[in-house]
Amino acid sequence: MGIEPGRLHFSWVSSAEATKFIEVVNEVTEAVRALGPHDNFVKHMPKVA
Amino acid sequence: MKVIKIDKKDWADGLAKLSGGYRLFGPVKDKEFHNFKELDNGELPDFDFSNTKLSAKSMVFPQAEAMFKYSLDENEADHHIMKEAEKDYSPRAAIGIRPCDAAAFLLVKKNFDTPEYKDPYWINAYEASVFVGLACNNPCSTCFCTSAGCGPFHEDGLDVLLADAGDYFLAKVITDKGEKLLQAAGWNTEADAGEDQIETLKKEAEAKITASVNTDGLKDKITTELYDAPFWEDVAFACLNCGTCTYVCPTCWCFDIQDETHGTSGIRMKTWDSCMYPLFTLHGSGHNPRGTKVHRVRQRFMHKLKYYVDKYGDGIQCVGCGRCIRLCPVNIDIRKVCELMNSYEPADAACQVA
Amino acid sequence: MVGYTDKIREISERLLKEGTVDMVIGFRQGSMPMMNEPCFAKRPEDVEKLTWDSNCGINLANYLTDRKEKIGVIAKGCDSRNIVTHIIENKIKRDQLVIIGVPCKGMIDRRKITSMFETEILSVAEEDGKVIVKTGDAEKILEKEEVLQKNCAVCIHRNPVIYDELAADLVEEQKDIDRYADIREIEAMSPEDKWNYFDDLLSACVRCYACRNACPLCYCPTCFVDESQPQWVGKTTDPIDTKTFHFLRAYHCAGRCTDCGACERACPVGINMRTLTKKLEKDCFEYYGWEAGLTLDARPPLDAYKPDDPEDFIK
Ligand code: SF4
Ligand code: SF4
Ligand code: SF4
Ligand code: SF4
Repeated sequence: MGIEPGRLHFSWVSSAEATKFIEVVNEVTEAVRALGPHDNFVKHMPKVA
Repeated sequence: MKVIKIDKKDWADGLAKLSGGYRLFGPVKDKEFHNFKELDNGELPDFDFSNTKLSAKSMVFPQAEAMFKYSLDENEADHHIMKEAEKDYSPRAAIGIRPCDAAAFLLVKKNFDTPEYKDPYWINAYEASVFVGLACNNPCSTCFCTSAGCGPFHEDGLDVLLADAGDYFLAKVITDKGEKLLQAAGWNTEADAGEDQIETLKKEAEAKITASVNTDGLKDKITTELYDAPFWEDVAFACLNCGTCTYVCPTCWCFDIQDETHGTSGIRMKTWDSCMYPLFTLHGSGHNPRGTKVHRVRQRFMHKLKYYVDKYGDGIQCVGCGRCIRLCPVNIDIRKVCELMNSYEPADAACQVA
Repeated sequence: MVGYTDKIREISERLLKEGTVDMVIGFRQGSMPMMNEPCFAKRPEDVEKLTWDSNCGINLANYLTDRKEKIGVIAKGCDSRNIVTHIIENKIKRDQLVIIGVPCKGMIDRRKITSMFETEILSVAEEDGKVIVKTGDAEKILEKEEVLQKNCAVCIHRNPVIYDELAADLVEEQKDIDRYADIREIEAMSPEDKWNYFDDLLSACVRCYACRNACPLCYCPTCFVDESQPQWVGKTTDPIDTKTFHFLRAYHCAGRCTDCGACERACPVGINMRTLTKKLEKDCFEYYGWEAGLTLDARPPLDAYKPDDPEDFIK
């Protein structure tokens, strides 16, 4: 529906895997940051008469 | 009354002149169907249509319209105060509105412009408007305007009536507002025997109307008996409660009031609503006096064909445009329901049910 | 189609006379060409109004939701699959129903036919795979195959999957059909083109929700778009609100949608919002081998976990 695939990540992280969690979060944040802001779904004041 | 002849080759020029003094609205083709919209600069209304999908009511009563604006930013002096939204009430002209849609404005006016209550948004927009109607030479099979107090060449609610006569339009001047508009467009050649030509076209068009409703019995029915009539379950069964019938209807006037806030600024709006929706009558307590589909369908028809009839004494709240019949996804037909109501006799019904 | 109608009336009359059911839900002749109206018959003599032809595209499973009576229901292939889904989701009980199955030969696309004519269509009749259309000044005979509703043209479950009575002999299913050509075209677009495609697709939407209300899957007591505390979605025709409605609704139908086409058929402004549900239907088929409503014995894939569910998207 018009969202770049790189914005969606799935991972399986157990509650015991703190390091993996940090890695995943960092990776995801970097990947999304690299894509830049995505404004399509940002709603502004509705355009009304 | 004066009838002006407008050669079709002078049409675009005239409209161009008008666009200086008026915001122009008209039927335009939008993908597969026509809608009534504000025309872009230089855009011509497209008259190759039977009627627009949605009615022209949005010209005066848009689906969503700003009423107030407010700010929640405490650094601003007038924060937390509702301020009137800026509006453009400069003159606007409907070019090619169908007579049924124009007549519907007069009907809706009874609701928005009463001695007691006045809706400034509706009234201001209405008063800024000039209505140039386009008579219907070829009504559809679902138009029953002639039996709903209207007609393909009906003039009430219009300022000018245009009739397409082949290479030219005949423009019948109905009001001073209309006369001024024709002058502003530079259309001023009087037609020979214009009234007679229009009369002939009108007779031809009226003869093409095949659908009709009987409404003569409605006012003498007893409201509670109609309300309790046994046919409502059958009438309402197929209904999806989608509200399409009310959204497309030129005479449906119900609206909701909604606030939307984004960041620190907000807007209060008037948006179309519909008696077909469960939310329409849902109370804060959770109780809904019109909790079922049968209640809601009955309300729509009782309002149009009984409550309105009794309250205003000038016929039904319907101009016979046929949109609700054409667009209902499950073919609920107001002509059939009107017939059921108009001919309802509680005694026969009791036998039928037994 | 006359044979179908006679048989439907005969079965319905018998069921009502025996008292096996309290009502039969079917279609009656509409007041306009290519339109029939869902209706019920409660007395044996009412069955005379029941009819069947290629204009019965509304999904009757939608009229069963939470009903308490014993009901005879006329069901073409897709209706029967939505009835299965209804039973699985406890919206009706199997033993309340007598399903009168209709082996379906496809519904005709009234928008397509309307757009083929300059002037208003006054009557449409059917005979031996032909559709005879009359306008005020012309008559034209069309091949029914060429004017099928889009979803019917690619349907591979025309026969009811569950039934107690049959209104005709089973029909041959369509084979070697490319069901997803339209979806693949959209999938191949860049994210930006997709966004613009949906923007344009949904631009005429008036937010009447006829699509949602015509859908048997959309039975939530309060739809998320109607919630007011909190209000998730605005009430105007703002394009973001409109998209939010359509995208979310499509996801709610994932793995449950039978591609019956009722939503598209109901839309007053002719929006093909089915492309959204169909993409998810395709994914459910390709990832989980799942087609909705074929069996009472399994729950939809997004509703159940299996150890062999694909998981290569998890990194
Ligand atoms: S358009 Fe038809 S289905 Fe929709 S609310 Fe009106 S009567 Fe009911
Ligand atoms: S009730 Fe139906 S026919 Fe009457 S004005 Fe409204 S849309 Fe037109
Ligand atoms: S989403 Fe549309 S096609 Fe799918 S089941 Fe609902 S109405 Fe049918
Ligand atoms: S039926 Fe059509 S107009 Fe109504 S909400 Fe659905 S897509 Fe929008």
